[in-house]
Amino acid sequence: MAETPKRIHTPRKQKQSTSNLHPEPSASPISFAPRTPRSAAATPLRRSARLTPLSPDDGGGRDAGTPSKSAGSTGGPAPGSGKRTGNVRNAGLATPSKEETREEAEKAVRFDRSGRKSRQRVENEGNGVSFAPVSPGQSEIKKRRTSGSDSRMVARARTSSASDGKKKKKGDAVPKKRVYYKKVVYDGGEFEVGDDVYVKRRDDTSCDDEDPEIEECRICFKAGRSVMIECDICLGGFHLKCLAPPLKEVPEGDWNCGFCEARKLGKEVELPKPPEGKKMARTAREKLLSSDLWAAHIESLWKEVDGTYWCRVRWYIIPEETAAGRQPHNLRREIYRTNDFADIEMESILRQCFVKNPKEYAKANDQGDDVYLCEYEYDIHWHSFKRLAEFDKEEEDGVEDDSDEDWISRNEADSETDEDMDYEAERVKNLQLRSSMAHECAANSRRGQFFGLQKIGTKIIPEHVRCHKTTDLERAKAMLLLATLPKSLPCRNKEVEEITAFIKGAICEDQCLGRCLYIHGVPGTGKTMTVLAVLRNMRSEVDAGRIRPYCFVDINGLKLASPENIYKVIYEALTGHRVSWKKALRLLNERFSDGKNNGRDDDRPCILLIDELDLLLTRNQSVLYNILDWPTKAHSKLIVIGIANTMDLPEKLLPRISSRMGIQRLCFGPYNYQQLQEIILTRLRGIDAFEKQAIEFASRKVAAISGDARRALEICRRAAEIADFRIKKAFKTAPAAGKALVGMSEVEAAIKEMFQAPHIQVIKSSSKLGKIFLTAMVHELYKTGLGETTFEKLAMTVSCLCASNGEAFPGWDTLLRVGCMLGECRIILCEPGSKHRLQKLQLNFPSDDVTFALKDSGELPWLAKYL
Amino acid sequence: MPSIVKRGGSPISAADAVALPEPLAGSGGDSTPQKRKLRSDALAALRDDGAADPARRVSPRRCLNQSPNTPPKRIEKVVADKPMKPNRSPAKRLPDSLVADSKWNPRDPQQMSAAKEALHVSTLPPSVSCRENEQKTIVDFCKGCIKQGKAGSLYICGCPGTGKSLSMEKVKGLLWHWTQEAGLQQPEVLALNCTSLSSTSEIFGRILSKYQLPKMTNDRTSALQLLQKLYSEKQQSTKMMLIIADELDYLITKDRAVLHDLFMLTTFPFSKCILVGVANAIDLADRFLPRLQSLNCKPTIVTFRAYSPEQIIRILQERLKVLPYPVFQPHALELCARKVAAASGDMRKALCICRGAIDMLEAELQESTRNPYLSMHNEDKGQQAVTVPEFTKLQEIVAVTIDHMVLALSRTFRSPVVDTIQILPQHQQIILCSAVKLFRGRQKDTTVGELYKSYLDVCKSTQIPATGFLEFSSMCRVLNDQGLLKVGQSREDKLRRIALKVDEADITFALQGVRFFRNCLQ
Repeated sequence: MAETPKRIHTPRKQKQSTSNLHPEPSASPISFAPRTPRSAAATPLRRSARLTPLSPDDGGGRDAGTPSKSAGSTGGPAPGSGKRTGNVRNAGLATPSKEETREEAEKAVRFDRSGRKSRQRVENEGNGVSFAPVSPGQSEIKKRRTSGSDSRMVARARTSSASDGKKKKKGDAVPKKRVYYKKVVYDGGEFEVGDDVYVKRRDDTSCDDEDPEIEECRICFKAGRSVMIECDICLGGFHLKCLAPPLKEVPEGDWNCGFCEARKLGKEVELPKPPEGKKMARTAREKLLSSDLWAAHIESLWKEVDGTYWCRVRWYIIPEETAAGRQPHNLRREIYRTNDFADIEMESILRQCFVKNPKEYAKANDQGDDVYLCEYEYDIHWHSFKRLAEFDKEEEDGVEDDSDEDWISRNEADSETDEDMDYEAERVKNLQLRSSMAHECAANSRRGQFFGLQKIGTKIIPEHVRCHKTTDLERAKAMLLLATLPKSLPCRNKEVEEITAFIKGAICEDQCLGRCLYIHGVPGTGKTMTVLAVLRNMRSEVDAGRIRPYCFVDINGLKLASPENIYKVIYEALTGHRVSWKKALRLLNERFSDGKNNGRDDDRPCILLIDELDLLLTRNQSVLYNILDWPTKAHSKLIVIGIANTMDLPEKLLPRISSRMGIQRLCFGPYNYQQLQEIILTRLRGIDAFEKQAIEFASRKVAAISGDARRALEICRRAAEIADFRIKKAFKTAPAAGKALVGMSEVEAAIKEMFQAPHIQVIKSSSKLGKIFLTAMVHELYKTGLGETTFEKLAMTVSCLCASNGEAFPGWDTLLRVGCMLGECRIILCEPGSKHRLQKLQLNFPSDDVTFALKDSGELPWLAKYL
Repeated sequence: MPSIVKRGGSPISAADAVALPEPLAGSGGDSTPQKRKLRSDALAALRDDGAADPARRVSPRRCLNQSPNTPPKRIEKVVADKPMKPNRSPAKRLPDSLVADSKWNPRDPQQMSAAKEALHVSTLPPSVSCRENEQKTIVDFCKGCIKQGKAGSLYICGCPGTGKSLSMEKVKGLLWHWTQEAGLQQPEVLALNCTSLSSTSEIFGRILSKYQLPKMTNDRTSALQLLQKLYSEKQQSTKMMLIIADELDYLITKDRAVLHDLFMLTTFPFSKCILVGVANAIDLADRFLPRLQSLNCKPTIVTFRAYSPEQIIRILQERLKVLPYPVFQPHALELCARKVAAASGDMRKALCICRGAIDMLEAELQESTRNPYLSMHNEDKGQQAVTVPEFTKLQEIVAVTIDHMVLALSRTFRSPVVDTIQILPQHQQIILCSAVKLFRGRQKDTTVGELYKSYLDVCKSTQIPATGFLEFSSMCRVLNDQGLLKVGQSREDKLRRIALKVDEADITFALQGVRFFRNCLQ
């Protein structure tokens, strides 16, 4: 959603100091009793180290100056920070934009003169918690416009956040519900939806209570203001002057410290010990990378009924925690986003960190210590990796959707509302939508990557559509969309059982035995959907601990650029690393054939689902050979499920491959009409939009031809559309609300559209001359009994027809052009027009079709005579 | 148990049970594992008694208990079994707790998975039986080469699933032991599967990498040239190199250069490589390397024949030996072996079918747990079931029976054509019907356009609205996918050649149940 653009701003937010910067307007008199009275008192363990410098200044009107002072004392522009590629940190500063902050702080001080009184009160009540309410009502907007005028003088980017910082009484008004916020200032830190934060792993770690934001030099163990340089290997920081020989400025490119260099050469290195009595302070980054801290992405923030603050976070994990373990290609600061969500109390959030995608990460040269790289999403259930680029696109889609909401919120809140407000409202709505989505299907919400089915299914419906009460027909249309994922899969119970038994049989044993399953069936019989449904069911069992965890890799043969690319895709999904297919083949061979495991948990079984298996056929079939050979190896733990349309694919393969494929087959037969009927009815359960006979008619028709469920759904949806159209038209002329059901006639029309060949339409709508031309061809056919005629003969017939019915003969050239046009439409087959009168012509469709199409044409009633 | 009723009804099971050959019984007897001797004497005596007569591996009690349940045919079978276990004594009826541990208990997940594991393709059997001769030939060949320090090439061929690669694994081990004992220098072994090469000529690079030569100054010379150079010069104490190239035919290129060069490596004067190629084709060497004959480096050929039924039984029993309890009834194994041997002699298939039979048994067990009272409606057993339901279930199934095997076999080998045709959508059936009509004459194939005309005729005569041509051609494609029609390639849809892939009689048989089609086909 909107978090992508937001993330760019996040580094600019100050951690703890900003909350104090915002002037508290006098117009907001009521504030809650804060849950955390004084942060220092409430969480002495955690914050004491950071709060001590603040406490002396914590009084009177100078409170706003505190952060500016602390910023000033530690801050200082990094010399020459613009031109380097190496990682440089401002000594003692974890965040880059202090200067800016100080500027703002000074402004804030100015503002504060006016709002001082209230400010102080807030201070007395504690380092308060402030937030913006979920759905800002009219009154609040006004209030904001009157009081927030000065805050708008601050940099534009801050406007919204500054105004958010105010307290609102909304929360008190509705205490019985959760109140969602966009931003919360909690315990001195300002947290916003979309931020990345550190989360404490345990509550009782007293040893980790200090939280040094200031990194110490590895040599002198002092944190000064002078420039430090970071080693690319150990990530340790060094003062430029402490190095031997001292560096004048930060070098270009990679830089490794002397210790790492020595270690690389195989020498034993003793790191300099810290002076007596001084403990080596570990930064949050070190703690995170040694898994003493967690990192998470805030998805939503809310206040519980009991006044506690909670947020929903999406975890990040470090490479060591994945199934594949840390791999050589992982960068030091690389972490993975997971699809694991959790609700946590704000209490356990430490402070912000910055997780960036590779592009941003490359730019983030000197933005401090808390910058991380995240390129892949890690699926904690199926232990596979997925690149994030895809999601970002998805998120942009989400933003586009919101343009509708923008429009509506403007309507609601008068045209005077400023843009920020809109933006905010949108975000909040987004949040609600998202959180509800997430609640609905738990961690499943991201599974939509598979085939995009679920993705489309859970697409956000614009608000104005929601407000409008949907009729049954509209709901029926939505349910009949192919993309809508049905809640249950009727009529495939036997197959579901069989697949479940197959997977369980392969996985449940202590030693996973590789197996193969080949699933075949005509299109539209629910093959892929069934397998995915089974795997979804299995996951709940995995979660319950009844089944060992396994990886699941899903590949569609159609999406591969070439069959060999499948190695690449498999390898990337298993390890989160992209290599060329040749290398991937080698590595996969090592893993599956030789049983070499380099990862930690790599021994978990792996299920490989290959859709459209027949597309992997190469000339010498080596790709299929390799994939089907792995399960027969002792340590592969690979289970291959192949899906294709052809029934006799194994027989078409080389005998050595079909021998390795095993004998497990599963056939998905075409649906019969009862089954199709049940499928449609289950989709439409609770929606009263169709006549029963209409559904039966549609399913019977489809079952007689192909038994393809997709088609049956399409026909019904189309019938619903036709009915909807008809009703709306009727409504315009005579607004009488009647029960609108899709009946036989609509279904009939839809079936006609789908099954009737388009050529009849084309013939019906062809030009007058074209019709005469075709009639002449049919006439000629009847006369001679030969399928083929020449243009010369045909022209004679046409002139006869024209003459006897009072039409003007158009002339040969025109007629020839008409003939060529019909030839291009493939209504007739003809030789190139250059042959002129010797051109051979033939009808491409049975003459009955032409007769049927032209029999009752309005403009030329005499045609029927000749047909 | 309704499922048993159905299975018992299959004619094969009854027939096979009667026609049980004797030699099998002998081999079943020696599969008694040593483990049993460790147990208590009294039991061991009894069990040995039982094991001596393999037919008794099917517990008599089981037969007794099951006979009331089974349909008449089934009883016949049990009766037919009876003469083969003449010395059944009442003393055999021991409390279950004592007997159970010598029997396979399919309800125990551990025992179940042990059985499955023993039958899995990837499990290496302790010894490669039935391939002793071939193995010896290969080992002797390699020994000879290593002893004399000269190069040689060998080509192993045989159908899939005849133990080629497995034998090569064993040969590697044997050679290693032999060289250790003989005090010879260990040969370098390079075992690779040619399918895992990304390009055919990569094989030379792989060979060269085994030598770990000092850095060659010239990077431009290819690995092949380096190897050729290496083998044409006298060198000190280079190790012998054993190259095992599985699926050798993947190296066949248009000009056959790679394969040729590979075999030519063995002809160099100081060549030290022993090349063992493995592939399916018998005549690969003759077809693709005719020149080798003239150069006198034609590889020795070892052929792996398809397994005979006896061999398959032996191998299966060998694999099952690791388990201290019988999993299969001997008849069941025999049936499986005979069927597989008749079809292809592919050991993998036999293993898969056995695994499938175990799955059948498992499914049946699950079904019986789901509705336990269906299976024990008898009064005498009903009482027992109330008190000790576990026991009765235990007694019911203690091994994979011939019924399970029949079911598993039928899933593999039965031709699904008739069933497929019967569940086809109506219009597709009409297409098949019209194709049959069209092919009544001598004509064996036609074009899609012609078939469409015939289809329209049928539709017209039966007053069924016909579909359009596009729909028709897509239906033809679906039928092609199902393996019922064969649709050729053509640029134009109408001109595609089309032919029936299944027998006309099958179609007639499948469709005769519908009156509509019966009229049509007459």
